[in-house]
Amino acid sequence: MIAVRALHAAIPLLALLAAAAQAAPVKIGVLETLSGPQASTGQAYRAAVRYAIDKLNASGGWNGQPVQLLEYDNQGGPAGASDKLKAAAADGVQIVVQGGSSAIGGQITEDVRKHNLRNPGKEIVYINVGAEALELTGEKCNFHHFRFAGNAQVRTKVLVQAMKQAGALGSKVYAINQNYSWGQDMERAIVDNAGAGGYQVVEKTLHDVNKIQDFAPYIAKISASGADTVITGNWSNDLLLMMKASKAAGLKVRFGTVFLDQVGNIANAGEQAAGHFVAQAFNAEAAGPEGDRFMADYKAKSGHLPVATEPQTVFGLEMVADALKRTKPVNDALDVNALARALETTRLKTPMGEASMRASDHQVLLPLVVSVVTKDAKYKADDTELGFKPVKVFTAEEAAVPAQASCKMQRPS
Amino acid sequence: MDTFVFSLLNGTVYGLLLFMVSAGLTLVFGMMGVLNFAHASFYMLGAYFAYTLQGPIGFGPAVVAATLLSGAVGVVVERWFLRRVHHHGHAHELLLTFGLSFIIAETIKLFFGNYPVDYRIPPALDFAAFTIGRQQYPAYRALMAVVALAMFGALWLLLTRTRIGIVVRAAIYRPRMAQALGHNVQLVFMGVFGVGAALAGLAGAIAGAFYTTNPNMALEVGVMVFVVVVVGGLGSLGGAMLASLLIGVITSLAVSVDRSLADLLSVVGAGAWAEAVGGLLTLKLSSLAATLPFALMLLILLVRPAGLMGEKA
Amino acid sequence: MRMNLPLLVAGVALLAALPAVLPGGLLIASIQMLVAALFASAYGMLSGRAGMLSFGHAAYFGMGAFATVHAMNAFGGSGLLPTPLMPLVGAAAGLAIGVVAGWFATQRSGTTFAMITLAIAELLHALAPQLKGLFGGESGISTMRAPSLGLSFGSTTQVYYLTLVWVLLSIALLYFHTHTPAGRLTLALRENGHRLRFLGYNVHGLGVSAFAISAMFSGLAGGLQALSNEAANYAVFDAGVSATVVLNSYIGGVGSFLGPALGAALMTFFGYAVSDATQSWLLYQGVLFVLVMMFAPTGLSGLFGTGVRLVEQRGWRPAVFSALLVGGAAVLLTAGGVFAVELLQRLCSQDYRALAQAAAELPAVTLLGRPWSPTSVSTWMLPASLLACGTVLVFVARRRFGSAA
Repeated sequence: MIAVRALHAAIPLLALLAAAAQAAPVKIGVLETLSGPQASTGQAYRAAVRYAIDKLNASGGWNGQPVQLLEYDNQGGPAGASDKLKAAAADGVQIVVQGGSSAIGGQITEDVRKHNLRNPGKEIVYINVGAEALELTGEKCNFHHFRFAGNAQVRTKVLVQAMKQAGALGSKVYAINQNYSWGQDMERAIVDNAGAGGYQVVEKTLHDVNKIQDFAPYIAKISASGADTVITGNWSNDLLLMMKASKAAGLKVRFGTVFLDQVGNIANAGEQAAGHFVAQAFNAEAAGPEGDRFMADYKAKSGHLPVATEPQTVFGLEMVADALKRTKPVNDALDVNALARALETTRLKTPMGEASMRASDHQVLLPLVVSVVTKDAKYKADDTELGFKPVKVFTAEEAAVPAQASCKMQRPS
Repeated sequence: MDTFVFSLLNGTVYGLLLFMVSAGLTLVFGMMGVLNFAHASFYMLGAYFAYTLQGPIGFGPAVVAATLLSGAVGVVVERWFLRRVHHHGHAHELLLTFGLSFIIAETIKLFFGNYPVDYRIPPALDFAAFTIGRQQYPAYRALMAVVALAMFGALWLLLTRTRIGIVVRAAIYRPRMAQALGHNVQLVFMGVFGVGAALAGLAGAIAGAFYTTNPNMALEVGVMVFVVVVVGGLGSLGGAMLASLLIGVITSLAVSVDRSLADLLSVVGAGAWAEAVGGLLTLKLSSLAATLPFALMLLILLVRPAGLMGEKA
Repeated sequence: MRMNLPLLVAGVALLAALPAVLPGGLLIASIQMLVAALFASAYGMLSGRAGMLSFGHAAYFGMGAFATVHAMNAFGGSGLLPTPLMPLVGAAAGLAIGVVAGWFATQRSGTTFAMITLAIAELLHALAPQLKGLFGGESGISTMRAPSLGLSFGSTTQVYYLTLVWVLLSIALLYFHTHTPAGRLTLALRENGHRLRFLGYNVHGLGVSAFAISAMFSGLAGGLQALSNEAANYAVFDAGVSATVVLNSYIGGVGSFLGPALGAALMTFFGYAVSDATQSWLLYQGVLFVLVMMFAPTGLSGLFGTGVRLVEQRGWRPAVFSALLVGGAAVLLTAGGVFAVELLQRLCSQDYRALAQAAAELPAVTLLGRPWSPTSVSTWMLPASLLACGTVLVFVARRRFGSAA
């Protein structure tokens, strides 16, 4: 009995000794919606993160050890995300990656801020690869949050400029968006760019998110307003149903979108998607041989070509990898504040141009491309005949929009 | 004026689509008291069956086959699942159908993936029927309306003019008495459930091509269908038709109304005060378009709980 | 349910000792399990004892959560309401909304009652995103637990103990309610409301009181969740939350007092643990629901009762033997089913299909760390044999012990 008790006491001691003997590997947690109705977006982010981490480990990991990737399913909502973030913190995760939803992103950035306040020395950094609501680099900006995706302002700016240059932007624009932070940001951006684009916003509409099956009434409104262009930030069903309804009604408008390149949209919309514009974060055709190499490598490792949000995720994590390399271990472990400081100055040469992190609000400045849906694109979408052909590539400086005044970042001393 | 006519037409067609899906549910609800959460899943199954079969056998036969297959699934569900828990009470039947709806949705995701699938209107049917003002009206929508009306007509005739219809109505109204008179009420239940599922499958096969076909279809239509059934009255086919048209038209017309309560109050001069208060008073009707059916449902439940055309219990 | 005092004390002691033995991740899950257990107990009181099936209980849970978050932002941990007393705000909000909603809802009964509660919850869910001041849009309202009474409430352990105290207190109060005359009358409400009216009782008032008490404790549970998550989001009004509490209660069994709490704890843990392991976990959850509804209609606590009856009828040995049989069958069937589903999921995924087209023959899929080739017989024999053995065991168990079930 005493021997058993001694053994019971000895085991944790041995474990502690063993842990002290080897360095702590860096743990990266991807916290996404991996099941339920929005699973398709979350799984795409996870695939891209897996690819990027494998690449990092192939080039040596960090401090001589491979980086560990842990996956957490936030079960579809901010409450689940909050729980899993705490679980990740308990598991020793120091870098949390998420991109699927601005609502969940808002929850995570606040939870990370509170965790870091309460646990100095055991901070977590939040790598945002897709939540594009402006408030995350505005009122909610936070030293330990880094956004590696665009936002409504930059996407609209490049969309308007490219469409105007291609002669596809009319003089009467209809803004239709979803009634939540992203959609409201888009609406504001569309109005802000009216001067630069030389158009007049004839009407603005905000509708319920993912609840509307029948967009015919909205198409009727668009038709009645006399608009010749529709700019929208809608995604998934809201975009698809709207385009189908507009085709059914024979409405002759040009669509300028942000999410037309999501998987399944072109397959479903078919011919009626041709001629419409999308502001993308990456288009391999605009990236030359580097882009082709990236596409081929990604397809070989994960089974499909990187689309929509996957390229920006990969590049974001490559920037994190670059910052990791420049962060020296402290007591054989990762000092997250040092990583964050390295992240603020990180630069990466992506296939489409140089991307860099802006230290004032932790928004990445990345090159963007505006493409049009057409038959003579190099890479076809969704196994159809249509693909996205680049119309204009914008460098990071051209696409950038100044930091918001509402961001008052508190830095650790 | 154009907009109004268009909105009315659109609302009517959308309402008829809701009727197609909810016709089966109201019969099942009225007859067995089972709140079938899996009903919208039959709608989704119909769309996916039709999508899978469209390639080999063509659109028309695929729609027919999808209808029959959904009906078969409905019969299986009733015979081997619902019948077992029938005597435990309504709560158990309901929870069973809830679990089944999960299983059906997840199985579809297992085989078809999470993204919308490419189920499209065949080119032969993809033309405009007529033009009003500047907008075209697609022929396929007219087809949907025709199918819905035909369904209504067929069900009505079946229920009121045939022997089977009389037995079904008796089983809805007084199942024990009908059984005592020697009718096979169990078979009637199974048949009605199967027919309800088949109708939902038909609705899915037809609407899935026009709208999108994705694993979340059931969730999108599901709640609205319940609202229709409750507003129309349990077990009443005419009520379901009336309620679906009402909801379709209201939702459609509300989208074009950009006014709020504050604008209404400004008629009596309290507009500025309402604007200052904000909140509920400044909400535009157009952004509330998807919320109105629930408000209608609550109103009906409080004022006339049997529904618009239901029988007073 | 007979109150077994030593067992109860042991249970409470075990719960109190959990932070010492559980790793951090599981402690967080325990907090969620406690909150879900309280919510389900409150719901079980309404549906099991008063016989009123409500489909919109998330409304009261959510209002409790939002009220607590606003109070946390307003009070800042000191003054009249220190942080540990914050859930009272949630309870008060739940009570207030419960009285109003219950007054309307309890005027009808049966399906109409259920539909009214559903309509109220859906209306709230649809309106909440529009009312940004109250509900904070889609990112919700965020707050922070303020230090109070000498404790910082920063660590998970402190939050766990706070939650534990409130949950135990609330469940004790609910149990106490069942022994009061009002609590007994709610049973009568379920059995025969008509007769109760003829006996002279105010049935509507009784219904409202039962509804309000259930809503109050639901609001308290919501307040606890808001305290733990430090945020409230309108997603809490979703129909899924209402459906989850109904399912948890019935899986645990509404016939007994602690049944719903048990069901909620188990299902929350299931969701927490399995959701990270596989992306088909919703399918398994659905199958679990269906199986429990079909084969254990009185819930898991009812199963416990069946076991007790079996021991009384046949003695210990046959009962243990049947438990082993059924347990073994369950394990085999689960293993076979899960293997088959996971295999199918990998084979039918788009990535695999793309790889298969590119390769000459069907590539192997990785499961449990080993590669399995889809064309070899052994890959399919494994789940088939597991399922077959499990089915055989089920038949044997039914033959021998079918009468006692």
